[in-house]
Parts: sequence; C-alpha cells; structure tokens
Amino acid sequence: MPGLSVLLAVVVFPLGYALLTSFYDYTLIKPTYDNFIGLGNYRGMLEEAYLGTSLWVTLKFVIASVVIEFSLGMAVAVAMNAVTRFKSFYYIILLAPLLINPVVVGLMWRMLLHSELGIVNYVIGLGGIAPINWLGNPKTAFWTVVLVDIWHQISFMVILLLAGLSSLPREPYEAARMDGASPRLCFIHITLPLMRPVIFIALLLRFIFAIKTFDIIYIMTKGGPGVATDLISYFIYRAAFFGLDIGRASAMSVALLILILALTSYLYRYMRSFK
Amino acid sequence: MGEIVLKGVSKIFGSNIVAVDNVDLTVNHGEFMVLLGPSGCGKTTVLRMIAGLEEVTSGDIIMDGKRINDVDPADRDLAIVFQNYALYPHKSVAGNLSFGLKLRKTPKPEIEKRVAHTAKLLGISELLDRKPRELSGGQQQRVALGRAMVRQPFAYLFDEPLSNLDAKLRTSMRTELIKLHQELATTIIHVTHDQVEAMTMGERICIMQSGRIVQIGHPLEVYRNPANAFVAGFLASPSMNLIDAVLNETEAGLVIEAGGTRLPVPDSFADSYGAHRGKTCTLGIRPEDLHTEPADENHVPVDVDVVTVEALGPETVLIVSLPDGKEIAARLERAFSAQIGSRLRLYANMNLMHLFEKESGQVIPVPRR
Repeated sequence: MPGLSVLLAVVVFPLGYALLTSFYDYTLIKPTYDNFIGLGNYRGMLEEAYLGTSLWVTLKFVIASVVIEFSLGMAVAVAMNAVTRFKSFYYIILLAPLLINPVVVGLMWRMLLHSELGIVNYVIGLGGIAPINWLGNPKTAFWTVVLVDIWHQISFMVILLLAGLSSLPREPYEAARMDGASPRLCFIHITLPLMRPVIFIALLLRFIFAIKTFDIIYIMTKGGPGVATDLISYFIYRAAFFGLDIGRASAMSVALLILILALTSYLYRYMRSFK
Repeated sequence: MGEIVLKGVSKIFGSNIVAVDNVDLTVNHGEFMVLLGPSGCGKTTVLRMIAGLEEVTSGDIIMDGKRINDVDPADRDLAIVFQNYALYPHKSVAGNLSFGLKLRKTPKPEIEKRVAHTAKLLGISELLDRKPRELSGGQQQRVALGRAMVRQPFAYLFDEPLSNLDAKLRTSMRTELIKLHQELATTIIHVTHDQVEAMTMGERICIMQSGRIVQIGHPLEVYRNPANAFVAGFLASPSMNLIDAVLNETEAGLVIEAGGTRLPVPDSFADSYGAHRGKTCTLGIRPEDLHTEPADENHVPVDVDVVTVEALGPETVLIVSLPDGKEIAARLERAFSAQIGSRLRLYANMNLMHLFEKESGQVIPVPRR
C-alpha cells in the first residue's frame, strides 16, 4: 500500500492533473479552473502554426540520433566484445558521458563549439578549415545537436548491446567457422538474429528517450536558430512558459503521451513479429 | 592413409594450465573412436584442436598424411556436432543444412539433392521448413547431425552430442549413430564422459585423465584389462570395487588381505604377484564378479553385511560392507533378494581380480585365459 500511494502521488496524479488542465482555458495570466472548454485546447493545438514543423524536426532528430547511435554503438560493442585486456578501462571511458548531467553536457559542448572561443573551431582552424558557426547556422545546428546527443547517449546503447553480445553462445559461431563463414556472415546470420531481443529493447528505450529530449536543446539552442532544433518537448515548454498557456501545453503533452504510447505499442508488435 | 594422427600434442592455456599433455593418438580411416574421460580431462580440447577451433601449443596433427596445425577450420574438411547443437536460430532446418554448402559454392541442384538425401536418412524430411525453436531436443540433434553429414566430410567430430537428450532418446540415438557409422563408413571421433556410450559405440576407446591418454583399446579389452586403477574405477556402472590391500605370503601360498578378510591368490597369478610380496596395493574386483554360489576353487568366500538393496529389474545391486566396514557393490541376478542388515556369504571370482600398485595405480599384469 505505501508503494501504491507513492506511485499514485508521483505518476498518476501529475498525469491526471495535466489531463484535467488540458480541458480548461488555464493560463498563467489567469490561473483558475473557471473556464471549461472541453476539447478546445486540442482543436487549438491543431491550428498552431509551427506544430507540424516541430513534429517534423523531432522525427528527423529521433531517426537520425537513434539510427546513428545504434549503428555506431553496435560497431563499438562488437569491437569491445572481442577485447580481452583493459576491458574495465574501456568501460570507464565509455560510461563517462552517460554519467554526466545532460545540462552539463549541453553547457560543455556549447563552450567547446563556441564559434569564436570554442576549442573545436580552434583545432579545425589548425588544419586550415574556416571557423564554423555550429549552433548559429540553421543548417549545422540540427546536426550539431544530433551529434551532441549521440556523444551523450551512445554509451547507453553500447552497454546494452555489449551485455547482449557477451551472453551469446559460442557454439553457433564455431559451427559457422567450420562451415566457412566469414566474420561478416557470422554477424548477419548469427549475431543479429540472436541479438534481436536486446536490439529491440535498446532501440525502443532510445526511441522513447529521444522523443523526450529537452535539456540539451534548452541549454544549447533554445529551439533555434529559427525553428531548426525546435523539438516537440521544447515546443510544449515554450507554449507553457513563454505563451503562458498551461491549458494548451497540457493538451499537447497529453497528445504527445498518446502518440508515444501508440508508436511504442506499434513498434513493440512490429518487432515482436520478427521471429 | 585416410587417418588422423596426433603426435605429441599438448595444449597449455594461459601460462601454465596444461589441458592436454603430450598426446599420441592414431584414429584409423573409417574408425569409430571414442574419447572418454571425466569432466576436465582434456578430451574436448583434443577434439577442438583437431577441428581447428583451438590452437595447438606443441605437437602435430596430421590428417591424411598432411600436417594441418595451421589449416583454417573451414578448410580441414571436418564437421563437428556440438553438445547443445548450435543450430543457426533464425534459419529453417533446410537453411541450417544447406548453409555450409552454399558458402562452399556448391551448385544449387547438388545442394537440394544432398539436403533431401540427408533429411531422408535422418527422418527429418517433414521438418525442413521449421525453425530450430519449433523442434524437440531429439529433432534438433538430428538437424545438427544432418548439418555435419550433408557436407560429406573427411571425418565427423562429436562433442558429447547425446548428453542433452533424455535417457530413452539417448539410447535410441546411440543405436542410430552406430547404424549411421556403418552406412557412412566415415571416421568418427566421439567425445563423451558416459562410459555406457563409450562401451556401446566405440570400435576403440581412448581413456583420458588429467590431459593424458591412459589407455586405448577395444571397449571389452579395456573393460577386461584396465591399465590402471583410474580406468578400472571409471568404466562400467557400478564400477570396479577398489579396496586397499596387502599381499602376504602364508603357508598356504600368496594371499591378499583386504577389507578385513583373507583372499588366496590363484596359482596362475603367483609368479606375477610374487615380486610384490609384503607390499600394500589396491585390489580391484568388479561387482559382477561377486556371486552367491562358487563356480570353482578360485571363487573365494567373503562374509558381508547387506547395507542397501537396489532391485533394478534385470539385476539386483547390493551395497555390502566387508568385515572392516569398507563398502563395496555386488551385482547379482534379478531374483536375488536380501534383508538390509543381514549377513551374507558371497564368492569373489579371483580369476578375474586385478591388483594395482598403490603408488602409481598401475595394474600388475597377470596372464589371463
């Protein structure tokens, strides 16, 4: 019972409260529950000029970061799985980014990538490359944010995949070796099929986390320049604390939650069907 | 020609863990050789070195006259069947069987022909479209076997392939493997710790202990004439009774004092044992060489107390205690029954006894009929 009441207090109550608020014209100028407007906030949400753009940016961000993290992460995990010496040393290096607070990650990279004072531009300048305005140019800002997210989150992917790889049985690989299969064929025909459950969990978790990305956007770009990095979570934040429209922001949060739930359950079924 | 020869083969893991120690072994062409030994004796390592999955620390492995130490496993033309089958999990049975052939760029019609033939031989034709997880243990076992057979290799290497099967299936697969060997007439090296498997399947068995070969021979030959106390105690179930003994000379001749009783040595063994007079040694007598009736003068009476009675159906195994309290097993006919705790007179067939040196464990050889 104590556990249940804590769960109710910290999970169900905020959810219910947001749901309730989403049906009211509740703003920070007039923070009262006097004006019930039913689905008004939801209808209004569809009329938001930049919601579509934000969803599109979010989709690009999620796909880019998860796909690159997975591909790179798998390569690193396979390489690390073959390592026999200094494994714990590599683990520590690999885990370091994951242990850093996202706000610190954002601040750190903002300084490193500063167009005039940043060390990154200094280093590439030594190679004769002109300074790049990493976060100020709409074209580079999006990929810069994606890369910082990858830097921060890839170790999560590596650790999960490595745990899976290290528990795979040895014999199918030996059977394949006797059959004359190359390491590449072994990877395709043995590693990937055997790793499917782990890959599925890793992708699903990263997918959910990536949609919710907020901290590095808040610290590094504030959704800009323009709307180049305006992820949905930051978009909702702006609606609430710049637009002061808590009702509208609650409606969007609820809609986002439903969207994530729907996508997750679809992905879950889709990936489970691969057997 | 056509044989697999190991010359002084050793395997050292790390800097000082000797898994296989200077092994010499010749497996003849078409022979069913069983490597037998307890866990950790190095038998699987020997097999894996032959397969090329483990590097040889020193010594040579020669196949068909050629040294193959540095030949890639895929090019050795050997097929291995693993204990846990090691099937490709997402491939169908047909896919599992054909994978190796595809990699070797075998023409498609030939692959289809061989897969169909192998599947028919193993009775898995109906399972070709199934995935490994949809198969029972026995069926998976057959697929693993099929995957090896379809390649028509120079020799098969079996790494305890029956040990994951239940007892009944194991017995029937044993028979099938023997039949299969007769049909294929290919060399098979079979690793097992199950002495029943070794006795029933092997044309010769090679018994290993602590990385070394202790004895090689026909199963019955090894059963009748174990080279040392380890082999004697390992083979057969229940295994040979090994009892601390002293060899003494009396007026009546040479006697073995063991278990609190005195057993006269048959005259035909006297010359062989004479040199060990007064020494402590180990007496070995098989449970099936203890009887309730004497057959000749070399069946020596021993009074024992019954500790447990195991009526197995075809036979009755008694655990009895000798006068000094040492417990031994006796294997008697099925009709035999006895009360636990009762006194019993058994007759030990001294014609079939063995005597091992105490220190080395080596058998003291005697002339046998």
